[in-house]
Amino acid sequence: MPDADASGALRSPSLRAYWMAETLRLREALWGPLEDAMEVRRARAEGGEFAQRVLARARHLGRREKLDQLIQQWMQGSRLALTGLCLIALLAGAGAALGALGDGSRPVNLLLALAALLGLNILSLLFWLLSFAARTPASATWLGTCWLWLTRKLARGPDAALVPRALMEVLSRAGALRWLLGGISHALWSIALGSLVLALLGILSARRYSFNWETTLLSPDAFVTITTALGWLPAKLGFAMPSEAIIRASDGLQQLPESAQALWSGWLIACVVVYGLLPRLAGTILSLLIVKSRLAAIELDPGLPGYAELRDRLSPASENAGIDAPSGPAFQAHIQPAEHAFPLADQPLLVGIELPSDRPWPPMDLPAAVADLGVVDSRPQRKRLLDHLQARPPERMLMACDAQQTPDRGVIALLADLAGLAGRGHVALLGLGPSNAARASTWQDRLLAAGFAPEQIHTDLAPALDWLAGTPAQGREARNAHAGP
Amino acid sequence: MPDPKQALKLAVVGHTNTGKTSLLRTLTRNPRFGQVDDNPGTTRHVEGARLLVDGQAAVELYDTPGMEDGIALLDYLDQLAAPGTRTDGPERIRRFLDSPESRRRFEQEARVLHKLLECDAGLYVVDVRDPVLGKHKDELAILAGCGHPLLPVLNFTRSPEQRLTSWREALGRLGLHAIVEFDTIAPALDGEAQLYDKLALLLDRHAAPLMTLKNDVIRQRADRHADALRLIAELLVDAAALRLSCPPDHDAVQAATATLRRSIREREAACVAALLKRYNFRSHDFPAHTLPLEGERWGMDLFHPQALKDVGIHVGKGMAAGAMAGATLDAFTAGLSLGAATLLGAAAGGLWQGADKLGKRVLGKLKGYQEISVDDAVLRLLALRQLALLEALEARGHAAQAPIEIAGSPALTPQEQADPDGWRSGKLPDELLEARSQPQWSTLADNYQASARHRDVVQSLTRKLAAGHPGPMGSSAAPPGGLSF
Repeated sequence: MPDADASGALRSPSLRAYWMAETLRLREALWGPLEDAMEVRRARAEGGEFAQRVLARARHLGRREKLDQLIQQWMQGSRLALTGLCLIALLAGAGAALGALGDGSRPVNLLLALAALLGLNILSLLFWLLSFAARTPASATWLGTCWLWLTRKLARGPDAALVPRALMEVLSRAGALRWLLGGISHALWSIALGSLVLALLGILSARRYSFNWETTLLSPDAFVTITTALGWLPAKLGFAMPSEAIIRASDGLQQLPESAQALWSGWLIACVVVYGLLPRLAGTILSLLIVKSRLAAIELDPGLPGYAELRDRLSPASENAGIDAPSGPAFQAHIQPAEHAFPLADQPLLVGIELPSDRPWPPMDLPAAVADLGVVDSRPQRKRLLDHLQARPPERMLMACDAQQTPDRGVIALLADLAGLAGRGHVALLGLGPSNAARASTWQDRLLAAGFAPEQIHTDLAPALDWLAGTPAQGREARNAHAGP
Repeated sequence: MPDPKQALKLAVVGHTNTGKTSLLRTLTRNPRFGQVDDNPGTTRHVEGARLLVDGQAAVELYDTPGMEDGIALLDYLDQLAAPGTRTDGPERIRRFLDSPESRRRFEQEARVLHKLLECDAGLYVVDVRDPVLGKHKDELAILAGCGHPLLPVLNFTRSPEQRLTSWREALGRLGLHAIVEFDTIAPALDGEAQLYDKLALLLDRHAAPLMTLKNDVIRQRADRHADALRLIAELLVDAAALRLSCPPDHDAVQAATATLRRSIREREAACVAALLKRYNFRSHDFPAHTLPLEGERWGMDLFHPQALKDVGIHVGKGMAAGAMAGATLDAFTAGLSLGAATLLGAAAGGLWQGADKLGKRVLGKLKGYQEISVDDAVLRLLALRQLALLEALEARGHAAQAPIEIAGSPALTPQEQADPDGWRSGKLPDELLEARSQPQWSTLADNYQASARHRDVVQSLTRKLAAGHPGPMGSSAAPPGGLSF
């Protein structure tokens, strides 16, 4: 049965998967995303392309949310609706046959009977064919749409409306919707016409009918032309057609032989079969074949809203590989005051620590009493400085650092070593501004942790130099004292 | 030949606080990787991440703690070397890893060297805002001792304080001529491709998987771009098609306008969220109260006339202000005022739907109902805002911490004034004009109905958007427009 084929196409496992995914997508678009960590993990473990993972996630989530049962219910409803429509088609076909031929009390007007049997069918077929020419490929099949409408009425529950909507989306995206609805429509017409032909055969076998043609306006020749033209194709297919003489004689005014009535009933049945049943059967088969091939080529559109956002979770570009070992305690350098056996050198020392080469050094306003040891950067320079301080430790030393740089463990350790060697070692942070306030506080934290006192840290060079040369007043007195006697 | 199953292992090494974790975040497109802070010693252990191509690990990246004490470590290595013996670099490193200080003062450095010995190569991350110092050179000497190729990756190259030339010169002197510039906050569009190209040159045995990875990265970027434009096109069609009908009294019109605005705002927020998700940025980068986005232009309400003027959209005299701003009020016209082309589309839209729709509209017309839809100017603003956001997302590295800001200068750049996509003035795309006549196309509408034509229109609008915004494939290495840090 063709309708079994129609719902058979909906039963294919792959379509079910896409249908479920679409139902879920629509549901999440309407009511927000579902919690899906477990399902995503399972879909990722199953592997495959992104599209397969989307389908797998939908399968797992659908089972959890009982959407698969909804789809099952809808399928049952759709089958019920289809069966109902088939029954109606059967009855309508038989009814049409009875209505067109009447009860045999009056002769049957051949052309009117044919129009009654085929008119609506031909019209709707033409309409379906015309729908291909329209820009909008609407389904244009009332029966197919009617089936959809019926199934919606049969579905109950809040999510139930989503199921057919999702099916429509999936089918139309696959280019199969119009063909499926067309196929159902053709199949129902085929059933109606089949039952019509059977009813015709039955009635014509069991009752006596006489056939004639009538016209007021047209000439008998026109009727001959129409009848032979209509009979041409059935004759090619092997149906016995009335000859011209019989056609001319069937004007209802002459007595016809019994064989002529049999010929006319054959002509009528042949026309219904050839112009009604066969095109519809062909349409059914064509539509279902196309549905089948379209559904075989069905694929997921990964760019759809709802799917696109899943990509980074289902097919991540990277995954974490873990850590080697938990972090241990951080190493912290401390100032170790050296014990000096001899008095410290009087001359205050100034040293630049890892200053960039584009910073002018030494500073312009360097007090005369201060000795500049230059900028210490490389390993040999460090070594030379440490050796120098070891041999002649100063009473006062100022270490100038670039506040813009990151205070790393190495430089803090160096500052702690140097401060330990001098009697009093202070640090000046150069180039502080509002832009690197956070960096300055990092420097201060690190220096405090290494054992520097807050007053040992200067955030500007000028006060630091004043400290180095002695307080301003003291310095001037000292200089005056030297200049005096 | 390397085992094809075995991923290429790369250790990301460098001085402290140069952006090693940031590099991993940007390469893995994972803003949750590790911990990033403008402080030394933020990362205190080795953490790995695998870059996947089709679910298979192509490259394993290891984020390591920063080198902080290079000069002292080099001293210690010298001290460890037995006098009179000549040992090669890796042997010296191994001897250090067995020493007691590798678990105390140099614990961090030991973790780095241990990992680098295991890996195929190292990426040496440099903060080019730092001056070239002796400690960097010593650190590089120690790292080179591991006997694996090192590729310097210059970070923060877009910063105004960069010292790119002195770093290139210094690295060249140390024999490191293959250098790649990669700003982790705002990487060049082809930055990753360049990085893998350089690596492939350096590691010719691993060239094939690196090229696969590179092509995968380029493909993913193009996929993301296409998906994003599709999301924007769906938003625009949803907004253009939305029509609310209401009784003709003043209060009802006000209420319907409020509903219209609310749904459009929510739809825009949903599109922003989807874009962020697709580009794998965290939604909490954009605090809820400042949604849509920060910055003046973004903070401004979608329906405020000033918001339109700011992005250079011509606001006509008829543009309503105040309570009705951004909404257009039509008397019901039964589709007759919509232009011949759209009417044709509506007529071809299937008789079933057409009759249904027409019936409702005629009924509405008889009752004197009015229809409210979104103003053209609001559609333009929506398009411009989403496209600007897309541009910002594409230029943003996953290491970026500052919230996204779209530069909101009142003066438009000459390029903006030229209006290459025609969004600021000129005719709206035909797709949107057609959507205007199809209220059932809007997913915001109660009577939303999927149709093939709707899908075609979204696709063709996506193509139109792509023509104006060719994305990664079109203009490579374009500076990130309008992104401020």
